[in-house]
Formats: sequence, structure tokens, C-alpha cells
Amino acid sequence: MTGIRELSQWRSLTRDGDSRARYQRMLQRADRDIASMLEIDVEKGFSSVLGQNSPHLQGIPFSVKDNIALSGFSFTCGSKILEPLVSPYHAGAVQKLLSAGAVPVGKANMDEFGMGSSTENSAFTVTRNPWDLDRVPGGSSGGSAASVAAGLVPFSLGSDTGGSVRQPAAFCGIYGCKPTYGRVSRYGLAAYASSLETIGILSADISMMEQVFHCISGTDERDQTTWEAVPAYQDEQGSPTAAVISDLEGMDPEIRRGYERTLEAMKSLGWKITEVSLKSLKYAMPAFYTIACAEASSNLARYTGIRYGMRHSTSAAQEEMVRMTREEGFSAEVKLRVLLGTYVLRSGFQDQYYLKAQKIRTRMKQEFDMMFSQADVLLMPVYPVQAFKAGDEGMTPMQQKVADRYTLPANLAGLPAVSFPAGIESGLPVGMQLLGPSCSEERLFSLIRKLSEVIPPPELPVRLGAEEEADD
Amino acid sequence: MTDVFIGLEIHIQLLTRSKVFCSCPSGFGEEPNLHVCPVCLGYPGVLPALNRRALEFAYLTGLALKCTMAKRIHFDRKNYFYPDMAKNYQISQFHAPVGVHGNMDFDAEDGRKTIRIHDIHLEEDAGKMIHGSGKSLLDYNRAGSSLLEIVTEPDFRSGREAELFLQEFRSLVRTVGVCDGNMEEGSLRCDANVSVNKPGKGLGTKVEIKNLNSSRFVRKALEYEIRRQSRLLRTGRAIIQETRLWDEKRTRTEPMRSKEEALDYRYFPEPDLPPFCPDEQFITKVADMLTELPISRYDRYRETWELNEETARYLAEDVSRAEFFEQSVEQGADAKLAASWIKGELTKLQAKGEFSFSRRTVDPQGFSSLLRLTDAGEITAQQAKEVLQVMAETGGDPQTIIKERVITGGLDEQQLRDLASAVISQYPDTSAQIQGGNMKALGFLMGSIMKETGGAADPKASRRILLELLGIDLTK
Repeated sequence: MTGIRELSQWRSLTRDGDSRARYQRMLQRADRDIASMLEIDVEKGFSSVLGQNSPHLQGIPFSVKDNIALSGFSFTCGSKILEPLVSPYHAGAVQKLLSAGAVPVGKANMDEFGMGSSTENSAFTVTRNPWDLDRVPGGSSGGSAASVAAGLVPFSLGSDTGGSVRQPAAFCGIYGCKPTYGRVSRYGLAAYASSLETIGILSADISMMEQVFHCISGTDERDQTTWEAVPAYQDEQGSPTAAVISDLEGMDPEIRRGYERTLEAMKSLGWKITEVSLKSLKYAMPAFYTIACAEASSNLARYTGIRYGMRHSTSAAQEEMVRMTREEGFSAEVKLRVLLGTYVLRSGFQDQYYLKAQKIRTRMKQEFDMMFSQADVLLMPVYPVQAFKAGDEGMTPMQQKVADRYTLPANLAGLPAVSFPAGIESGLPVGMQLLGPSCSEERLFSLIRKLSEVIPPPELPVRLGAEEEADD
Repeated sequence: MTDVFIGLEIHIQLLTRSKVFCSCPSGFGEEPNLHVCPVCLGYPGVLPALNRRALEFAYLTGLALKCTMAKRIHFDRKNYFYPDMAKNYQISQFHAPVGVHGNMDFDAEDGRKTIRIHDIHLEEDAGKMIHGSGKSLLDYNRAGSSLLEIVTEPDFRSGREAELFLQEFRSLVRTVGVCDGNMEEGSLRCDANVSVNKPGKGLGTKVEIKNLNSSRFVRKALEYEIRRQSRLLRTGRAIIQETRLWDEKRTRTEPMRSKEEALDYRYFPEPDLPPFCPDEQFITKVADMLTELPISRYDRYRETWELNEETARYLAEDVSRAEFFEQSVEQGADAKLAASWIKGELTKLQAKGEFSFSRRTVDPQGFSSLLRLTDAGEITAQQAKEVLQVMAETGGDPQTIIKERVITGGLDEQQLRDLASAVISQYPDTSAQIQGGNMKALGFLMGSIMKETGGAADPKASRRILLELLGIDLTK
């Protein structure tokens, strides 16, 4: 089961030219209100397929966040500065899926360069939450999450720098996997904060997520930070110990109820619960944004309009042309982070900011090491609030950054974290996450599958047209 | 009087087949933007993948420069905007370079000197920006080529010292095989920094000089700069900390940017490349790659075979030439004779493109037997040159060539005959004496022929022809 359709039903959508043309029309119609995709082209996607290595994934459609390279498709990263860019190559993870026989059908909208938590900060369009069109789908992989929750595709590739897979997955009532740093190749993921981010998976079905993870993980010689991981755990037989943070603050009542519900489910499954404290948690936000902005200031320096992407129409000399291109091509949020990053990296000031942030990061890793010597997993909410309203009624960029505190630790420590739906409150999904030690993805999938037997995943607001399918 | 302090920053392009972080070929003089890919063009999403060979060459150079080799290295990003640098940061090494605290010997005019090496670090090269007629063109073929930077301590005292050091350094990197050492093509580049101060006052204000495309320019620019700074010092004016460019046409340095305009590179560790810790296998492999350095060969040639300085240096500075020499001596050639023939005839043949010490048509064995024949007086020097020419063309051995070909010493039979007739008519008295049985007088006529031909005539043939023309048959 995929949660929405049987695998065979997904496969039939891409089976032959007529099915693909019909699927193309269905996607375009279904996406009209939610605007999850920046480009939809089933036929082009089908012609990119490189093999059929996987009986599970062969013929299965998927969407790809627009900061991940898919040759022949747009590669905007949600930014005006890359609007005219078509990717000349495939990302490592994409290539593995194409060899497995999966069919990419389009590029998903996102917050510009992954900077944001609502997918409102895209240069092109605002993506809506399929659960409630007045609300945001979360971000930055909001297009990916919305495309899965609306039933357009069974899974999507996103990226998670500070929660950008898990938070939109939680907002949209689906699963989101942020793998261990180095287990999935970053080759082809346009860098925002290189040392923090990974390509991740969004899906409505935990088994499909597991299949996709199995396919895209492993070494890639083009990403030398990947390594051949020995999975830390296989299927669990005994009762696991789940850690919870004793003094967790700031959750909305709806989130609190989902958290309590998950704790009850764990207890009912016979899991041991142990209370821990994570002292470095309160420093996660400043440490994260110091490092992320520092790396972003360097990673985004390549966008100048000289070799590719948008170029300002000025006739000025190159230095001025570059300045004007960046002035016009980047949004205010991107400029803010580039400036902050430039500021914290100045010589003579690194001790004060960048190195201090790295110390917090090291400390956090040590705390997690300690914690996972006593517990198998850590339960945390994904985000302190449910999907918030789009526009002025929503959260300010600063409030959003503060609210990232539960998702940031996994990125700072390079650990795997999988978010899952933990019921519906006030008509909207609530998301929780399990974190585990390095390379424990397999265990996290297995434990979350057990939890889903107690807290079944919600029925999704599927939008992929029923009337067209009746033609079959 | 002033004290002078000069330090060099040398960049060498490593002879790796592909670039340092991608699989594009590294090469010189190709059509612009032919050897590029998403990685070296800095497309979104690409990552560097470190070339293993570049690492080996970096460690090998460190070993040759007697550096303390790092047990763990990592890369840093050097951030600055320039159109020929695709990512607008250069992947380099700042905090944990390949090697530190090295040193290198060379012969200055007043004897042997040791220069301390501050550090060596591996980095990527930039592309090239070509300006002209209101346009700037960019060629990224060179972007991402493997570059090794060698930074010396300020241990030089004159431009001439820096020049001599650079010559020795070029010979070293060529010998070790990590760089072709070509300054004109930019595979070896050098910036210099220089400060002058009143005697005993230590380092002065540092001025950096760029755009030095040959070791001669390095000397000239430094000499100019020392004069300029000394004059400022003498007249009590301030020396500004700045970067200056050498203008070869005007033979002077020009200001480029001052300290206030200096860039803040905002170094931070490169997150896309894991640290590298060489294991024992790596270290052994690199150690096995190291060959004897030119200066040590030079000393050995001086000591063992008492070659003069010039000859010893000439042989030692090029590894294939040095090996040819040593192998010839092993094959029994006299060392001094071999040295002089290598420096003379073989080098001439090489200049004409008819022979190469690295791709040999004449092998040391054939060469040494040719020298032995000459030494034994069986053939003249002139004949030996001819034989060597044939050897270079055909690759044959000297004995066979002598047997199969007429080696006349540059004169054919008829020329030799004409010459002999002329000598006989010139000295009728001597000829008469010989005909009268005084064979000792033949030596005089022979000597005259030799004198006429500058020693090129074959003595046996000359003797035969003279006797024949004089009507003497010794067999009777």
C-alpha cells in the first residue's frame, strides 16, 4: 500500500504514452490550486529513466525539489537568479532512482535556496497546503510535501538543512526522512549550508520511504563526504527505550496533545520511556544560523550571472553587473543570510561567532552520544505549531527561525530523524519525529511502522482527479 | 647600508592528468572552454572530489623540500570575487597544509645556502581572463587545475639569490616529476615579497610583487624594488605596505593595491571535503617516488668524477641527462669524456631534434662503446661525431655502423685524394725523401693533411692514399 494508491495503480499512470499524457493533464489540473510544482513534464521525465533495477520503484512517479539536479529540467532553487537555468546533469540520488526505473514528473516549489519554512519565499509562486488552502505547506520543501499530500506523486525528494523535509511533512500529514549526514550523496543538491544539509525523502507511505532510502543511500565518488554505512540496527525484536526531553517548552496545545498521544502509543507497545535533558538545545538556533549563514555566504557567491542563470541587463562593467544581478536576483531573506554569514566570517571575529557556534555543535554531538548510549531513540515534536496561515496572519521570519529549535539538532549533529503523522488536531495534522544514533534509519522506519499501527496515518486530501481516472 | 629580506611564493601546476577536483583533463593551449564540466564551472549542486594523484604529488614535493608532513590535512575556502574563479571561492589550505618547516639548498654566488620553507599547500587554479577592445573574455580550461603553493621564509638577500634559487627549484620539481617547470606557459609562477631596513633592525615594511613571468624578471623586479625602497629609507620617507606589479616594458614596479584595499578572505574549513590522513601505504608509495635531487647529484659528480662546476651542474639539473650520463659511466665510458660529449655533441643533436635524453635512440651502452673506440684512437673525433649522428638516426650500434658504412671523417675518397696530391706537390723534397725510403718523412705529409682538415681526415685512409700516389707499395 502507498497510503493512497496501490503500487500497480501508480505504475499504470506512467505505463504508456496515453497514460502519461492523461497523467500530465491530471497533474496540471490537480496542482492548479496548490501550486506545488514549478515544472510538470511526465513524458520528459519518462525519457530520463536510465534502467529498471528495482521491482519496487520501477515505473513509480516522483517529484524533485527544485534545488536538486534533474537533467533537462528547471534548476531554479526557487530563485529568480537561476530562473533560466536548465540542469545539465543529474544529482547522485536522482541518478540512482532513474536507474531503478522511477519516473520523475516535475520539479517542486521551495523557499528560495531552502531559506524559509513556508514556501512563501519562492521567487515564483506561493504553494498552498492541500489540507487548507489558506495555510502554508511548510518549507522549505513545501512543494514536495504538498505534491505528496495531494496525491500527485507517492514520494518526493526534498532537502533538509534545518528541518526542511520534516517540518513540511508534518504540516501536510506525511512522513519525512532526514538521513544521517553522509549516507545519501549531496552531489547535485544546490548547496545552502553544506555541512548541515542532506537530501531527504517525503512520502505518505513508510514502506515506500524505506524503498527509496534503500535506493538512494550509499557512497558516491562525486561526494567524498559519503561513506559506506553499516546500518546500526536491523528490525527490532525487543522493547526499545525512547528518550524524551524533560523540560520541553513552547508547544501549542494541539502539538502537546499529539506528543502525549505518541507517548501513550509507545507505552502501549511496551516501550521504555526515559527522561533526559539536552542542555545545548537552547543554543541550537543561534549556532545553526551562524554556521548556516556562514556557509551560505560562500555557497551563494557563485551566482553572478556570468556563466549561467539570470544576468542583469546593464551594460556596466563586470563588477557592477555582478552587483546588480545579485541585487535583483536574490530576495531580502537571502541577502540577509549572506550578509550575516559574511559578517560572522570576518577575520578577527571568527572566535566570537563561527568558532563559538562550532563549539556548541561539538557539545551537542557529545550530548547526543551520551543520550544514545542509554536510549535507542529520542522523541520530539517537529515544530511547536501546526501549519500556519499564509501571508501576514502567519509567522514572521524571526518567529519561524525560533520555531526551528526541534528540527535543528539532527542537522547540527548529523543524525537521522524521521517525522511522522501523530493524529489530527483542529482539522490539521500534527507531526512528531524520532531521532536516532548515526545510521539508525532502518530502526527508525521499523519503530515508526509499529507506531502507525496504534496511530494510523491520516486520510490525505487527495486532489489528483477522480473523473479522469474514470476513463480507465 | 640596508638589510634586505626577500621571500618567495611559488605556484606550481602539478602534472596530474585530470584537474584537482573533477575529471576534466588539465592541459595547456587548448581551444578555450573545451576542458570544462559542471564541477569546474561551479554549477549549483556540484561537489569537489579530490584527485588522489595531486595529493601524492603534494606530499612528494613536501618530502623533497624536507617538510614536516601533516598527519592530517584539510582544505579551507578562500573567499573572494573574481570572474575567472567559478565559485568565487578558491579551495585551498590555510589551517592544516600538506607540509610545514621545510628547507632547500641551492648555490648562491657566495656559496651554498639553505632557504627555509614556511609551508606548502594544495589548491585549485583559477581560469584566465583576457581583456581586449572593450570586452573581457573568460577561459575556464585552467580553472580547477591542481596547484601547489610553496611559501619560503624571507631568507634571500638579493634578486640574484632569488633567481638562482628559482633555477634550482625548477630543476628540483622537474627531477621529482611533479611539474614541467615552464614559467613562460605559467606552470611555474612566482610572486616575491621584499622589505629593506636599517642594518640590525629586522624586517621592514613588506611589499609584494606580482606578474613575474621568468626567473630573470624576478631578479630585475627585486633589484628595482630594493633600490626604490632603499632610496625611500635613506631619504626618511615611508615605505607603504602594498602589492605592486612588475612592468617589464618600463622595467619598474607599479602600485596595484595598498594594505587598506587588501581582501579579507574569510577562510573557513571546506565542508565538502573530508580531512585526509595519509596511511602507511600512502607514505611508502610517496617515499618510493622520490628520486635523488639535482643538488645532491651535483655534489656527487664533483666529488666522484671531479667534474668542473659548470659541467656537473649541467648534467645534474636534468634528470634524464643525468641518468644517461651515469648509465654511460656504468657501461665503462670515461666520466669526463662522457660528460664532455653529452654537453657537446648529444646536446647539439637534441637541439636539432634528432635525439632526446628521455626518449633515446642512442643508448648509454652504444654511446660508451663509441667513446671507447675514440679513446683507443681507432676512429677520430670527427668520425665519432658522424657515427653518433647515424646512431641517433638509426639506433644502430657503433661497431656495425663503422663496418657497414664508409666513415671518412667528413671527407670522401676523392676529396682526400685531391688533398694528398696537393700536399705532395707542395712539398716535392719531402715526397722525394719518402720515395727514397725515408718513411719517417711520411709523418710530415700526414701532419699537413691533418692540419688542412682540422684533424678530420681518417689517418688510415690518408696514409693509404699518400703511399699510393707516391707509388710505394709496402706489401712488396
